[in-house]
Parts: sequence; structure tokens; C-alpha cells
Amino acid sequence: MSAEGATPLLELVGIRAGYGTIDVLHGVDLRVMPGTVYALLGPNGAGKTTTLGVASGQIQPHAGSVLLDGHEVNGVSPDRLARAGVCLIPEGRGIFPNLTVAENLRMSTYAGVSYKQVQERAFAQFPRLQERRTQMAGTLSGGEQQMLAMSRALSTDPAILMLDELSMGLAPIIVEELYEQVATLAEAGLSILIVEQFAQAVLGVANEAAIMLHGRIQRTGPPEEIAEELTAAYLGMS
Amino acid sequence: MIFGVRHSVAVAAALGTLAAVIIAVLTWKGAPVTSETFLVTTYIGLFLGALWAMYATGLVVVYTTTGVFNFAQGAIGVFAAFLYWELHVNRDWHSILALFVVVGLFAPALGVVLDILIMRRLRTASLVVQLMVTVAIMVLLLSVVGDIWEADTPRRVPYLFGINNGIDLGPSQLPWHRLIVFVVAIAIAVSMRFLLRRTRIGTAMRAVVDNRELAALNGARPNVVSSTSWALGSMMGALGGILIAPELGLDPATLNNVVIIAFAAAAFGALRNLPLAVVGAMLIGLLRAHTGAWLDFGPDFRFAHLSIAPLLLLFVVIALPQARLEVGRLAHHLRRHERYTKWWEGLLGCGVVILLAAAFSGGWLDFGGWDPGAWGSRELNSANEAMALALIGLSLVPLIGWAGQINFAPLAFAGFGAFVYLKLAGDTGNGYWILMVGLLCAPLGAIVALPAARLRGLYLALMTMAFAQAMSLIFFPHPWVMPIIGTGRQFPHIDLFGITFDDRRGFFMLMVSVFAIFVYALVLLRRSRYGRRWMAINDSQAAAATLGVPVVWTKVVVYAVSASMAGIAGVFWATVSGNVDSVQGFDLLLGFNIVLLVAAAGVSIPMAGIFLIFIPLFKGFGLRLEDAGNVDFLVTLLDIMTTYGPGLMVLGMVFNPRGAIFEMGRGFSPILPWRSDARAEIAAENAQKREPEIGELGLERPFTPEEVIAIDRRLEILDDVVPKEGYGTSRS
Ligand SMILES: Nc1ncnc2c1ncn2[C@@H]1O[C@H](COP(=O)(O)OP(=O)(O)OP(=O)(O)O)[C@@H](O)[C@H]1O
Ligand SMILES: [Mg+2]
Repeated sequence: MSAEGATPLLELVGIRAGYGTIDVLHGVDLRVMPGTVYALLGPNGAGKTTTLGVASGQIQPHAGSVLLDGHEVNGVSPDRLARAGVCLIPEGRGIFPNLTVAENLRMSTYAGVSYKQVQERAFAQFPRLQERRTQMAGTLSGGEQQMLAMSRALSTDPAILMLDELSMGLAPIIVEELYEQVATLAEAGLSILIVEQFAQAVLGVANEAAIMLHGRIQRTGPPEEIAEELTAAYLGMS
Repeated sequence: MIFGVRHSVAVAAALGTLAAVIIAVLTWKGAPVTSETFLVTTYIGLFLGALWAMYATGLVVVYTTTGVFNFAQGAIGVFAAFLYWELHVNRDWHSILALFVVVGLFAPALGVVLDILIMRRLRTASLVVQLMVTVAIMVLLLSVVGDIWEADTPRRVPYLFGINNGIDLGPSQLPWHRLIVFVVAIAIAVSMRFLLRRTRIGTAMRAVVDNRELAALNGARPNVVSSTSWALGSMMGALGGILIAPELGLDPATLNNVVIIAFAAAAFGALRNLPLAVVGAMLIGLLRAHTGAWLDFGPDFRFAHLSIAPLLLLFVVIALPQARLEVGRLAHHLRRHERYTKWWEGLLGCGVVILLAAAFSGGWLDFGGWDPGAWGSRELNSANEAMALALIGLSLVPLIGWAGQINFAPLAFAGFGAFVYLKLAGDTGNGYWILMVGLLCAPLGAIVALPAARLRGLYLALMTMAFAQAMSLIFFPHPWVMPIIGTGRQFPHIDLFGITFDDRRGFFMLMVSVFAIFVYALVLLRRSRYGRRWMAINDSQAAAATLGVPVVWTKVVVYAVSASMAGIAGVFWATVSGNVDSVQGFDLLLGFNIVLLVAAAGVSIPMAGIFLIFIPLFKGFGLRLEDAGNVDFLVTLLDIMTTYGPGLMVLGMVFNPRGAIFEMGRGFSPILPWRSDARAEIAAENAQKREPEIGELGLERPFTPEEVIAIDRRLEILDDVVPKEGYGTSRS
């Protein structure tokens, strides 16, 4: 699928970034080719969320460049990137707890799609949300909240989707349901960067995987191989 | 739980209604109630309500969309009203043009500037800092108004279309102005409701306060969104100020006090519910109008009808459930290990204070040949006033600084102290009763502490504010409380240790001594077990409770201590002002100023309170310079420092939450010969900032550029490093 020589949709080159004076990423290189699913795996504190922060414009790197479809976007604000088609579903619950479900969906329209489309797609994929459209999002169950967060990815036709630990704290059946949606998106040709701690969840969808440790990408390769190595790494570490 | 809350609200409402009925029966004026008079009164009430509703709408919109409760809302209105007067009346612009320039251009610009310079940085600040900063903005705006438009010229803002044009209503007339106000206020409230609930920008405004980062990830521009909120809020404040000015007159304090009514209305809607806030405003308007028409409270309670709003605010704040008030606010904890002031350091500091005060007021100082000379009565009057306020301010140190209990009512406690003293000592001025005042004020503090024990943050601030306002409208003006008001008699001179302090300098030094004693008491208290408990409940009530600190009892004690300090200070304040006109002497704005002063001084460290002494010293010194007729710019500088200084310093907390005084103290303490710990701390901090020295890395010489590249290769830092000139100095 990913023809050599094509421009990567998202590319990080030599990214160093951190919080305040503490460096967390020490030179991260990563490329997501068009139409592929890239899984970034690694233990707690490896710097996965920070990497997504850099890619989405929330964190400015000290060094290195962020390229979107070949264009450098260092220093571009996260809201501009979002309107340009970068869609990050953040770690935890990516929802506005004091807005209703419908109002949460309405916020997705800032990406440049109509409210009608957002509602139609979200409710088609997650009928449960329709029943609860006037409910405060903060009072939804964890799974429903994650569905609500995911519906932004489904309804806004992003250029690239980044998912940060979609599975966190959810029952396996809901995780499965959510990843089915991801698989559908991937089949439709969307480029996706998935962050997870454990490889199991993403094995079915990823084309390429990478292990991140201590702010560096240690290895990249086919997901199955990486999954094995990751298990070894976790066992070796604990 | 839900039922429990509803139950208590119902009981409270029933009791309130009962009290209202009893009051109504007792004070019934006996005027005939006809349908006509009833209607006219109702329309006046609705009109007033509409005015308050406009302010309340602005407050609620800003609060729901930025999370900041804007105490400066009224002051924005004051500024706008004066600006409107300047353009329309003074410069003869057409009213529509002036209205457009002030409400359409100036107000939104002010809102955006406030957002960019200040509010944006307040998002992660603690609630105390947030509140203090908006109070500082209020005080600064009012000071600017006072400086630009000096109070000596009488000003009036005319009604739109004049007072005499309007619809005939039989017994009276409904002027266009009032009709317009009513329609505009309702239109604003409805459109704001529509904006917040039905439009995308409104949704984004509420989303940004919920989760700013996520709003950006959605593609909304958070900064633009919150600037829009501030611009809108500021426009509503401005419009309210301009429309209300013809009714109340163009007086900054009066106009600013309107915001208390707006607070009550907003609190009626739990600060977030716009329709309920409007209903609250209408309710207050109707109550006001109808009590004015049918009830007569008599000369003893001549301001009682004005106290409806503060009483309602008090009632609502105490009765309402406290859910969802401090959502998602990160507390910024900057406290490091605090070094307690040693007992002898405290003594030394207090000695220095007394010496300084004596030197300044006695004219012992000699500035390179220019001898300012001893202070005259003008200097001493001004300094005495500031000194008494500084004393009251000290009472807030344990309460706000240590226990984190925001209190806007220090003057109410002070006034109560003055009242107790007057009752005890009568005309004798016997100073020993002052100690008794301290004891008797403690229970009042404890009473206030009881509702305060379950209130937090903003609601606590509102409650104390309402309490202060109610006291100054109902309690203090009563002739039994302050029998000497209006008689022209003076508050008796204090008589202590066989000395009658009838001379101003002696009295000044007496206050300075009391100040020193207070500071010293605070130093000791801070070191005590109680002091540490108070800090503990500030850090976390829940944690303190699990550690076995009795939270309620601890709060009661801290309020009692603060109240007795304020009460004692109040005796001095009343003596300074001579004839106690309660409503002016114990008013709210002055209370805000005191709180601000204390906040500027960095409320938590007792020795920082010493800073308060500089206000009276600078005041006196500035006047002395002026009298001596030289150094003009210095006089202006001192004037600006004493007027704007505290407000500006509090604004400085936006950038450095520990406050300017704290940092000055940190800069000063290493100079003291015995503070080697402070020197070590500064040295350690500097060491962190600079690059490590070669020797500390265990190397004998710097790397050469070639070595650096080699190391990078070995570490697989593969960047194409080009050796640069001066990249590490080579051996020479
Ligand atoms: N806001 C922050 N301020 C300071 N340090 C932070 C901040 N956020 C993360 N860090 C630190 O950066 C490092 C990497 O964090 P990051 O969140 O990127 O890890 P992660 O790989 O996403 O871990 P997890 O799987 O637990 O989510 C951690 O050591 C963390 O403590
Ligand atoms: Mg993470």
C-alpha cells in the first residue's frame, strides 16, 4: 500500500520536546504514509502522548520538524491544524462534560463540516448517543463518552486521525466495538496514528508498528513482530 | 440528598416569607392600595429589575464562559457612564453616536484588552488570586475615573429622549427611556440565552471553559472565543452603566454598588442560569418598588429598603446547594517549606516599625540638607486614617492569608468593635475597654463563621460581601448603635495609661504601637499549633479533616481571632474619623480597598504585613513634600503609589502569584547578617540557572569540536552537526 517515494502524510523528524526544562522526547522520527495505520506502542511515561501533542501542535518542539503532507507546520496552532484536517482524540475522555451530547457534536463542526453531517454519522454509528442527545456528556458512561469522542473522528472527514489510548479503562467489548469503527475508517483509506500501551488491541488494524521507550522510537516493523518484542520488553523491565 | 437540599430551601423560603410578612405588617404605611398605584409601582419595579438584569446577564455570561466571576462588572459600567457623559454632555456628541462609541467600540476593546493582558493568565490561578485581581481591576477603574473626572463638578447623564416624553399611564408617565431600558434588557437576556444555547460560538464559549485544549483540537480558536466573552460582558456592563446613570446620578461609588444587586440576581440563578438570574433581578426590583411604596421603616431604619438585595444575596448563598462551583480549577501550589519568623526577629521588626514611624512623623530625617520637618495636622490626619485601615487590614492576615477564607467584611467587624466600645466606655474614652472589645467581637466572628463553614471560595466571598452591606445599611445607621451620628459630637479621645491621646501625633504613635503588637502576635500565632492548623484547612479541608483537625471549630476560632483584631482596630478607625457616619465610614468599597492592600502585601507571611505601615508613612511624607512646596514629581509619584499601588501590585500577582512584597522580602532577607539560610537559598537557585562548570562534570578541559562530533556519533545523535566557531573553546 505505502509506495516507496510517496510523501508521508505525517512525518516527525528529529523531534525533541518536553515540558518546561525537562526533555521528554529525545529525537523522535516517525512517518505515517497515506492510507496506512501506524501503531505507536510503549509503556507508561515513554512519551507517546507527548509525541501526539507535538504532531497536533499542542506542544512546540525544541528541535526537529513536523511535516504534514510534506509541508513544515512547526509553530502552527492546534486549532489551525484541526481545521486543516488533523484530528486528535486525546487520552482520557475527549469530551466537554458540561455540554450536552448534541452540543459536543456541534463543536466538531469547527473542522468545517455541517452539523447535519456530524449528527447523521455519529448517530448512525452510535445509536446510543442519539437517545442521550440532551444529556450532559459528563454524566455518560465511560464507554459512551469514548463513543462521543470518537464520533468527531467519524464525522469530520479528517486527513489524519490520531487516537490516544482509545482502550483506556473500557470493557473489552466496547474496545472491540470502537476498533471496529477504526478498521472501517482505515479500509476507507484514512491515515491513522494509534497510540496504545498494549499491542493486542491494534494488531488487527495496524500496517506498521513502533516501540517507544524513554522518549525514543526503539524499533519499527510489522505489528506482529513488534508485539512480540513489546511483550519481551515489558517482561524484561518489570 | 437531593430531597434534603430541596427541603432546606423550602424551609428557608417559608421562613423568609414569614419574616417578610411580619415586617410588612409592622411597617405598613397605610397608603391606600388602588389598582392604579399598584400598577405604577409594579412598572417601576420591573424597570429597576430590568436595569439590574442587564448587569446580572453580563456577570452570568462571563462566569459561564470564562469561569471568572467579575467583580469589576459594575466599575466597567461606571467608567462607561463617565465616558458617555464626557462625549455626549461635555463634548456635545449626539447621544446615539456617543452610545455607539462607548458601548460598541470602547467597551469591547476594554474587554479584549482585559482578556489578553490579565484574564487569560488567570485561568490556572487560585480562586483567591482570581477574586483579588478582579477586585483590583474594579478599584483601579474607579480610581482612574476619580482622577480623570474629579468629583468637584456636578454631572448628570440625561435620559434618552428626555424624562418628559413617553407613554401616558394615567396617574404617571412611562418615559421612553425606561421603556427602552426594559425592552433592551429583556432583549439582551433573551439573545444571550439564544447565543449561549443555540449558536455555535455560544457553545464554543461554554466549551472553552470546560476544556480549553479540547476546544482547540476541535478547531475552535480558544483565545478568540474567550475574548468574545469578555467583549460581550464588558458591553453589557457599559450599557447598564449608561442607562442607569440618569436614575442614580453620576457618582462612582453609588453606581458601582449596583453590582451587589446584580450579584444577588446572579446568585439567584446559581451564577450560571440566565433566566433565573433575570427573574431574580425582577424580583429584587419589584420588592424594592413595593416596599418603597407601601412600607415605612421609620427614621431608625432609613436605609432598610436598600438592603433587600444584600439580604437576598445572603439568603440565597446560604440556602442554595453548593454543587459544581469550582469545576476543573487547578490550584497552583507554590508553597515551599516556610521559614517561620523567629520571636526575636519579630521583636526587631516591630522595633524598626516604631522607630520608622517616629522618625517620619517627628521629622527626624534629613535628606541631604533638606529637612522635611515634623508632620502637621494635615499629614497626621491622612496618616492616621491610613494607619487605622492598615490595622484593620492586619486582621485579615490569619483569615485570608492562612485559612484561605475570603472576607470582604473587615469593616463590618471593625464597625461592630466601635459600637461595642461606645457602649462600654461611653464618653469616658477609657482605653482599657478596648481589650473587652476584643473579647466581645470574637462571638460575632464565630457567628459569621457558622454559615461560612460550609461555603467555599466564591460563595464565601459573596456571603461576606452581603453581610458587610447589610450591616452598613441596617445595623450601623440605627441611632441606638451609633447614637452620636448627626449630633455633631465627636468620638471620645482614647484615654490610656493616664494619658489622653488628644494630640494627633501621640495618637499616631499609639496606633503604630498597636500595629507592632498585632504584627508580633501574628508572628507568634503563626508559629503555634493553631497557625499550622489554619494553613492545613487552607491546603485541603478534606485532608485536614482526615488528619483529625476539627475543621468547623478551627474555622470558628480563626474568624473569632480575626473579628477581635478587627474590632479593636475599629475603635481606632472610629476615633480617627471623629464623628462616625456609619454608612460612609464602614462602606464596602473601603472594605475592598483594605482587602486589596492586604492581598498586595502577600497575605500569608506575618512579617510581610509590616509593609502596610508604608502606606501611612508615604501618605504623610507626600503631603509634607507638597506643603514644603518642592519636588513636584515625587509628590505625584507618592500619590500614584498610594492610590494605584495596591491595585497594581495585586495585578502583578497574575504574573507572580506570590506577590511583589514576598519577592522583595526574599531579596531583602539575605542582607540581614544572621540569615545565612536565605543567602544559601539564593546561591542554590543561581547555581541551578547557570551552566555546570567543567570541574563539576569531572572534566579537566572543555571538549574540542571534533570530540563533540565523535560523541554525538557514538550516541547516535545523527544530526549533521557542523562544527561551529566557538562551539566549546579549544585548548589554547
Ligand atoms: N504536563 C506535563 N508536565 C510535566 N511533565 C509531563 C507532563 N505531561 C507528561 N509529562 C512527563 O513526560 C513524560 C512522558 O509523558 P507522556 O504522557 O508522553 O507518556 P505516555 O507515553 O503517553 O504514557 P502513558 O502510557 O502513561 O499515557 C512522563 O515522564 C511524564 O511525567
Ligand atoms: Mg499517554
